[in-house]
Amino acid sequence: MRRRAPAVRAGIPPVARVLGVLTLLVASAACGGADTPAPVDGPEVLRVLAGSEVKDLEPLLKRAQDAVGVRVTLSYAGTLDGADQVARGGADGRYDATWFSSNRYLSLIDGATARLSTQTKVMVSPVLLGLKASKARELGWDGRPVTWNDIAAAARARKFTFGMTSPAASNSGFSALVGVTAALSDAGEAVDKAQIDAATPKLKEFFSAQTLTAGSSGWLADAYAKQGAVDGLVNYESVLLGLNASGRLKEPLTLVYPTDGVVTADYPLTLLSSATPDKKELYGKLAAWLRRPEIQREIMTTTFRRPIVPEVRPDRRFGSASLVELPFPNRRSAADELIGVYLNQVRRPSRTLFVLDTSGSMKGDRIDALKQALTALSGADTTVSGTFSRFRNRETVTMIPFNTAPGTPQSFTLPERDPEPTLRQIRAYGEALRAGGGTAIFDSLRAAYARAESSAASGDFTSIVLMTDGDNTDGGSYDDFASYYGSLPVKFPAFVVLFGDSDVNEMKRVAQLTGGATFDARSGSLAAAFKEIRGYQ
Amino acid sequence: MKRWIGVGLALLLGAAVVAAIVVGNRGGGTETREPTVVRGVIGSEKKPFFDDQRVRAVFTRHGLRVEVDTAGSRQIVDSVDLKKYGFAFPSSAPAAEKIKRDQGATRTFAPFSSPMAIATFEPIVGVLTKAGVVRDSGQGYQVLDVRKYLDLVGKGTRWDKLPGNTAYPARKRVLLTTTDIRASNSAAMYLAIAGYVANGDDVVTSNAQVSKVAETVAPLFLDQGYSETSTEAPFEDYLSLGIGKTPMVMVYEAQYASRLFAGDGSIRPDMRLLYPSPTVLSKHTLVPFSAQGTEVGRLLEEDPELGRLAALYGFRTAHARAFDDLVAKAKAPLPTDLIDVVEPPDHDRLEGMITVIERLYRSGAAPSPTP
Repeated sequence: MRRRAPAVRAGIPPVARVLGVLTLLVASAACGGADTPAPVDGPEVLRVLAGSEVKDLEPLLKRAQDAVGVRVTLSYAGTLDGADQVARGGADGRYDATWFSSNRYLSLIDGATARLSTQTKVMVSPVLLGLKASKARELGWDGRPVTWNDIAAAARARKFTFGMTSPAASNSGFSALVGVTAALSDAGEAVDKAQIDAATPKLKEFFSAQTLTAGSSGWLADAYAKQGAVDGLVNYESVLLGLNASGRLKEPLTLVYPTDGVVTADYPLTLLSSATPDKKELYGKLAAWLRRPEIQREIMTTTFRRPIVPEVRPDRRFGSASLVELPFPNRRSAADELIGVYLNQVRRPSRTLFVLDTSGSMKGDRIDALKQALTALSGADTTVSGTFSRFRNRETVTMIPFNTAPGTPQSFTLPERDPEPTLRQIRAYGEALRAGGGTAIFDSLRAAYARAESSAASGDFTSIVLMTDGDNTDGGSYDDFASYYGSLPVKFPAFVVLFGDSDVNEMKRVAQLTGGATFDARSGSLAAAFKEIRGYQ
Repeated sequence: MKRWIGVGLALLLGAAVVAAIVVGNRGGGTETREPTVVRGVIGSEKKPFFDDQRVRAVFTRHGLRVEVDTAGSRQIVDSVDLKKYGFAFPSSAPAAEKIKRDQGATRTFAPFSSPMAIATFEPIVGVLTKAGVVRDSGQGYQVLDVRKYLDLVGKGTRWDKLPGNTAYPARKRVLLTTTDIRASNSAAMYLAIAGYVANGDDVVTSNAQVSKVAETVAPLFLDQGYSETSTEAPFEDYLSLGIGKTPMVMVYEAQYASRLFAGDGSIRPDMRLLYPSPTVLSKHTLVPFSAQGTEVGRLLEEDPELGRLAALYGFRTAHARAFDDLVAKAKAPLPTDLIDVVEPPDHDRLEGMITVIERLYRSGAAPSPTP
């Protein structure tokens, strides 16, 4: 599961709990990594590794048991993380099928296609720009045709701001990045390295207007609904229509369908080659059921996705524009280059503060796990998702270790090029951490906010990571912190890692207060939780 | 990916057959012996046919139960463990020829075939006719002139740059959508067509021609960007998402025909089927490895009921009447006879060309443009 804000977890429908919520929650902790327990199995169970994008189909899937005798358990992972797992064979035997919003990136990894058997598209949704109605009117985008070039020009002039997910963590961000690059490169064919380089200046202009980021499409939509400063979202049509229908927005979003094209998610329910004949049969039943006209219609009405079977036509809500599909890269090198350019050159830089518990209870395995997590983010994790989770060029990383009191903050700023020397320094810093003393959680968190405030207003993406393994034993309380936080002129989200024996309720309150999220590393690895947080930074 | 042609009808009929068998068994005592299971590995486009209860019933009458796994033609040749199977049924003659050779099989059956065709839309036909790429064959169907198409692609033409094109001014390259040449037979058949033309209207027969021709036509595949592995996927996009996503797609005629015959409304009034000129036939060829496998091949070739059912799935068979009757009944705009059909290269040359293109994918190099 990619989003763990308390509000989100409380929002899981009762159906999901019946559906094997154990799988949902446990697998979430370590992004479904190899260190998570295998999902429950049984003769009627189809174990599916899925993207969080299909979470809204849980109530429908529940009914597959009565309808066709298939009990579906979903375990969630991010797009690239899931791709990584499948490509390396980590999903074989643990899962029978996958269900991500797209298999395109996965198919580019050497050897990955051999692990996939039948693919059945279930529904489609293009990635678009949704802009609040008044802004769309102001820009004249509510009636006439608009191109990505028009949108990039308005972004350069700072006429609007938008939020988008990280292309390294979520398919909607990745699709948007591919689409925008294809459109701005003006090439007409799939982009390669030369075209990406040529488009980079234009991409910088476009993404200068991105002021909100997230690791998942759902979390991004929630965050957008809660605030008023950002003008729009780049997200799936289904998410944008869903937001409009939710009644949570002060002002509805106008959907802008760029005439030069979009990239569309097609949600292929995919059988793994390793699946046993019994599972294959369950898969066949489920796939056929999902494509029945009445189910397709239900998917369309309840989740705002377009039907894939020609027998069911999209209704009026989807408009009448013919959507040109932009070509998607067919080489891994081009896709990776694009994500790398976005993270290290194009997007606004990040400012990231780590508030790290080094109290006595961290001694032994726990401090080792922390060191390992920091090392992984400093370039040691060479998996697909790991590579894109590392500290980025132009990012400022500040470490605030604490025990009885906050320690001395230490900042590292990665240069625009050649990040390796700085990454080495961060690794060395992590290696030198020692455990001992008490636990002053809230004074340390406060110190982090004070430091963030003092250097604010640069337009960077600023966020704070709080990791603790126990209760607050020294200094101010949660309430002291909450009142301090209330007085701050500029707010930043805190992403909180649940670890060891930390006070879950208090940690959730911190996340809720600051508009952050909690990430569970109690049953999975700390490194996986840190990696997941990177999508939000 | 599965095809869902007339699924409702098939299920209904299937249920009726099952009911009949159950009732028959109850009434008829014990003379029905347990059918012999014969396993086959087949191209995915034939799976709905083999799953059809009416097809299964015919085999049951002959004491056989046919269980099939699906795999791409290239996979069947290269990586599938054929010892598990009584027969292989790839989608093309070159693949079958190679399997026959490798396995020492003594004969093959070619019960059905389907010409390669292009599913597109009326506005595209208009634009390409104006550009001189599409013309009337004089035989009641329209053709896409492959030579002229290669010229257009070679110049890197974008739709919005075609003179007088107001119908489809998309800012993307004029390129037929195909499946991934590294995985799928329909793309290999397209390679056979383009290769024939690029080789000066001649079948590729020498190793020298292999690399030269493959490099010439490689952009037809590479410039598309990402392409899918199963022939059904882009056709499904064509049907559901329409002209924006897939203005024209290389298909087996059978895919389009079966939809027309099913009359399920999925072929809408502005949809058109063109034939490349020249085109090739995808000859679905069965290679038996056992006596039961041979029996399956024989029945597919000879049993009139199976021939009739295959025609429902859009295949052309030795019983041409079945296909022609369906065309007449559905008033389908499909020709009874195609002219300008050429042979694909033999397996090793075709495979050689695919390998060259595969290498270009890997290197990331931009090959020289088509002449």
